Amino acid sequence: MTPDRSDVLYGTLGLMVIKTLEALGPLHGYRIARRIEQISGNQLAMNQGTLYPALLKLEQSGWISSKWGTSESGRRVKIYALTRAGRKRLHTEEAQWQRAAGIVERFLKISEDPS
Amino acid sequence: MTGLRRFMSRLSALVRSRQTNRDIEDEVASHLAEATEEYMRQGLPLEEARQAARRSFGGVAQTREVYRHVQSFVWLEDAARDVRYAIRSLRKSPAFVTAAAATLALAIGANTTMFSVVNAVLLRPLPYRAPEQLAMLWTEDPTQNLREGRSALWDVEQWRTQSQSFADVATFDTVTTTLTGAEGTEQIAGASMSANLLSVLGVQPVRGRPFSSEEAEAQKPLALISHRFWQARFAGADDALGATVVLNGRPSQIVGILPADFQIARLSVDVWAPHGASRSVRGPQTWFVVGRLRPDVTLDQAQTEMSAIARHLNDQLPAAEASRGITVVPLRLYIVGPQSRVALWMLAGAVGCVFLIGAANVTSLSLARSTARAREMAVRAALGASAGRIVRQLLTESVLLGTVSGLIGTLLASVGVDLIRAFGPATLPRVSEVNLDLRVLGWALGLSLLAGILVGLAPAMTTMRRDLRPSGEEGGRNVSGGTSSHRLRRALVVAEFTLALVLLVGAGLLVRSWQHVNNIDPGFRPDRVLMMDVTAPGTFNDPAQRTDLYRRVLEQIQAVPGVASAGIIGDLFIGHPREQALTVERDGGTVFERVPLIRDEVSTDFFGTLGTPLLRGRFFSIADQPEAPRVALVNDALARRSWPGQDPLGRRFTLGPRDSGGPWYTVVGVVGDIRRQGLERDVLPQVFVPLTQNPPSRKVTLAVRALSQDPLAIAGAVRAAVGRVEKNAAIAGVAPLVQQFGTYLAQRRFETSLLTGFSVVALLMAAVGIYGLIQYSVATRTQEIGLRMALGGEAGHIFRMIVGEGLTLSLTGGALGLVGAWWLGRAGSSLLSGVTASDPLTFMTVSLLLTAVAIAACYFPARRAMKVDPIVTLRVT
Repeated sequence: MTPDRSDVLYGTLGLMVIKTLEALGPLHGYRIARRIEQISGNQLAMNQGTLYPALLKLEQSGWISSKWGTSESGRRVKIYALTRAGRKRLHTEEAQWQRAAGIVERFLKISEDPS
Repeated sequence: MTGLRRFMSRLSALVRSRQTNRDIEDEVASHLAEATEEYMRQGLPLEEARQAARRSFGGVAQTREVYRHVQSFVWLEDAARDVRYAIRSLRKSPAFVTAAAATLALAIGANTTMFSVVNAVLLRPLPYRAPEQLAMLWTEDPTQNLREGRSALWDVEQWRTQSQSFADVATFDTVTTTLTGAEGTEQIAGASMSANLLSVLGVQPVRGRPFSSEEAEAQKPLALISHRFWQARFAGADDALGATVVLNGRPSQIVGILPADFQIARLSVDVWAPHGASRSVRGPQTWFVVGRLRPDVTLDQAQTEMSAIARHLNDQLPAAEASRGITVVPLRLYIVGPQSRVALWMLAGAVGCVFLIGAANVTSLSLARSTARAREMAVRAALGASAGRIVRQLLTESVLLGTVSGLIGTLLASVGVDLIRAFGPATLPRVSEVNLDLRVLGWALGLSLLAGILVGLAPAMTTMRRDLRPSGEEGGRNVSGGTSSHRLRRALVVAEFTLALVLLVGAGLLVRSWQHVNNIDPGFRPDRVLMMDVTAPGTFNDPAQRTDLYRRVLEQIQAVPGVASAGIIGDLFIGHPREQALTVERDGGTVFERVPLIRDEVSTDFFGTLGTPLLRGRFFSIADQPEAPRVALVNDALARRSWPGQDPLGRRFTLGPRDSGGPWYTVVGVVGDIRRQGLERDVLPQVFVPLTQNPPSRKVTLAVRALSQDPLAIAGAVRAAVGRVEKNAAIAGVAPLVQQFGTYLAQRRFETSLLTGFSVVALLMAAVGIYGLIQYSVATRTQEIGLRMALGGEAGHIFRMIVGEGLTLSLTGGALGLVGAWWLGRAGSSLLSGVTASDPLTFMTVSLLLTAVAIAACYFPARRAMKVDPIVTLRVT
């Protein structure tokens, strides 16, 4: 069964989530949302709420796991962590993204420079 | 894998859905609290911070909804709701549900029953190891037009040693066998097999062992018994192995017991004896031959090789016999012959047509129902249901209907299977194996779903097409039923009549064939005649002894009260004719020819007992004693063949070449043809010689004509009379001749009655279909009709209009059906007898019948239309 990538990592939100978890280790939902906003320089006008269905899908796919814990402020929160499968997935996704981005970049360069 | 995991995760989420719902609530709550806290740290007051947090989160309710979608099987919940709703909706129209479910259940039940027969007879593999490698081998003899003749052991031995295509070749044949026990001697179903038969078939005895080849060569008195025989005679006890039974007067030891389902070819045998291969003499051509192909050898390759071997063998034969060939036939095709195959597929196709007609009827009903529900659907659409959702709802209803019908249908099929097993013709091979196995149940399930989808599709499509316009146009004043759904219903009625006509023509042709076959003169009068096989004890080795025995038996029987006359013949009903060399004297010289000929010894009274007419000359008399000149009777077929246009009386013939030294017979009479090989077979040339001059074999057929209607009434007295003459004579197969004769007709009766039944059901369904449509059409056109009446339209005109509508449809369907029937008739022409596939009488009768039924079905709605009161136009708005 091949998972529908665009479905899971729709709008690359899923990719951002697992990259965040790889970089920072286990986090709860609000932290993940804030981190993504920060990294994107607050240019990403996303509803934080959309994060939760994405998290659920990632968990259903087995790329992240969750368990209840406490936040820095002592609240009961669900803490998400990257699984081994998720890490592997991240690498292939990253490579694909870079390749795709590279192609687009080269393409744009050629268009700009018609020599 | 990921998909599976997600599936499992969803499944568990479904189970603990309340739990996860609370989880997401908690998670959202803490998210908002964290965000609020952060905004407050940035200096916002509590209220504003809270609002900012909510703003950046987005819609909490939407999140929850999307979350729930991702998390659960929404479609499953929807489906559950659809099913609940469907049940409620169906319960509101019990009349529709009853009619639809009854129609579909009948159709599914009949189809499943028929499929169970096809499955058992045609599809299920034979109970041997790798059955596709097994083939029957036959001796082909063009001189007597015999493609599948039995073979001589010597020939088979040559095939076996020379062939590369066959791993091994085995032989078997039935053998007249008597069993002597404490209660006397009786005849049982016996046969003989070569030692390798079981290994060729890949069958192991359930107890004991097969024969060894040494035992077979030595013709040791050993026996393998059937499972049935073991149960009946030994109550399944283990001490049957090694026990001794007296077969043909010879004590034989039982070495093995065969599996319960063991059957070879079409023979049902209780006791098997071994026989060896013949290495010296050719011997009689009486053996069945079965071979196992080597793996990877195709049938064509085997046939090519065997033909080459046959040519090679022919070189060593005398010229008169040197045109033989070998025919290789897959065992599967031999066991179920082409005629049974065609018949079964025809019946399966017919019952499939019944299914389609039934489905068409129910579709038509549900179209009518969906038109009536247009308003409901429009309201649901207005309230926000998507078109897809509504279609799914409609399909759910019909699939539910199909499933329920399928369940009832399967119950009907289990009854049907019992009926088939009880009443199916014994000539249909493997009919006893018919049952409801997994494949048949799968078929029933598939049909149910198919019915559900077929029936639901049309209403769903028209609903989609109707665009779910807000109601008013459809539900309000209705000028005519000219919507697309009505057009579709008309098309369905046409299709129903097409199929019904095809079935009726098929049934008509079979009925005509049946009449024809029934009217064929068998050449004797079977009523009042009792038949039985009598076998002389093994001690009657001297032919004269047997002649004397049969004479005394006949004397005793003729003395029994209630007996009109009695006669003896070698064997009345036989399978294969033997090719005979025949030398006849006729005008213009003596001619030698080879003729497929049946030769039988008969007693003086035989023809009188059977009621076979004497065409010329005389019957045998007591004057035809051993020392008198040899005489013979010939049948009409032989008289016409060997003495064309001449009088055979007084002519002489001999069996064999002219100077073979055999006796010459003088023809003293010509008798009418007796159809001994079945009514539908050609009559073969026959020679009858008197018992007194030609001592018969140990087994003969006894025919007794009773004075009363019921020949079985004298059976006991006749048996006793035989016993008085020779208490060790074995009697078997006591039955009225009518009954034995009837098995020839059993399969034809089976096919004819089933197809007739199916076509009657089809016709009734088509009639109901057209009735429903016209009825509905009249109902929707009430106002139009009222208006016509108000404007001075005549009732008779209205009547003709309505009936005309129905007739147009039925005649269109009928015309299409005629074409279809003509086309299909040629494919099934092998099942016909005495009529052509395009028999004009059948086609005419059936067309008239169909038209009459259509008119009758339209009559009542049309009558109602005539009585429409013009006032209705004013009443309803």
